[in-house]
Amino acid sequence: MNEQTLRVYKDLMGDNHTWADVTRRLLSARGVHMLNLIGSPGAGKTRLLEAAAPRLFPRLRFAVLEGDVETTRDAERMARLGVPTSQLLSGGSCHLEAKLVHYGLRDLEIDALDLVFVENVGNLVCPAEFDIGEHAKVAVLSVTEGEDKPHKYPLLFREAEAVVLTKTDLLPHLDYDLEAVLRAVEDVHAGIPVFQTSARAGDGIQAFTDWLAGRVAWRETT
Amino acid sequence: MHEFTIGRNLANAVCEAYAEVDPPPRRLNTAHVVVGALHQIVPEYLVDAYRRYAEDTPVAGSTLELHPLPVHVTCGACGWSGDIELPFIRCGACDSAGVTLDSGRELYLDRLEVLTHE
Repeated sequence: MNEQTLRVYKDLMGDNHTWADVTRRLLSARGVHMLNLIGSPGAGKTRLLEAAAPRLFPRLRFAVLEGDVETTRDAERMARLGVPTSQLLSGGSCHLEAKLVHYGLRDLEIDALDLVFVENVGNLVCPAEFDIGEHAKVAVLSVTEGEDKPHKYPLLFREAEAVVLTKTDLLPHLDYDLEAVLRAVEDVHAGIPVFQTSARAGDGIQAFTDWLAGRVAWRETT
Repeated sequence: MHEFTIGRNLANAVCEAYAEVDPPPRRLNTAHVVVGALHQIVPEYLVDAYRRYAEDTPVAGSTLELHPLPVHVTCGACGWSGDIELPFIRCGACDSAGVTLDSGRELYLDRLEVLTHE
């Protein structure tokens, strides 16, 4: 008996890449842009979308895929605003995978949309690992989570093409170093936009939606 | 716990690669996996997930070895190229943030060590 070494070189994302590529091509062919919102539980992802909705409605036709471990509460919140919404239950998994997102898109009238938000399962680690067929990841970070999160979760902040800092209306009540978090984002992914928002006060939401509209318009012209 | 998803994919990939070995070997000793430093993978979790998903397959009982790969960048400002320490993704020479990632996102089954009949 002898030991023999055999080279393999096989990617470990399995069929996730295939599903992601199919989804991205499907959406791109129809001029639909998809964003993957990733943040901790309670970071304010759903609240951000609720605040953004009135500013998006006149300009963009959009829908939401709500990823959660359990319950349909977030989807119900979006549906109350008249936003086409489909709930994706991960069944205990800490992240969404491309296949589930692809199936979720089948519930939506894609040809009637410009933009799809996927609100991923609340988690800063696992969802960053998976391509779900999005055109861009967006990191959502609240000011109650500490300034060092970009340093602690570099994959997410490196993969993200924008950061939305939420709950800035709480800043007067917190020992929070705003400059420190901005520096931390720069350390990991220099040059990406950071939107400082308060859904409660309405601050920064317009800038975020303007950025979204710009991305959609750019995609339509390319 | 994304390690369980990756562990499932890994066990499938190892089984497929093992099944293609010709002539069929006696057994699989070790599967070697390369993990880029940007992946936040807990090695113990991935090893455990692999072991569980490999149960009742032809590769059951094989060992998993992980090989970390550092983040390697090239600087667009000064041309420096080298490994960096996370979390700072900047040039190791001039501290410019204008760097391109050369490696660090890898996650693949690199090789199998099998025991042959000969």
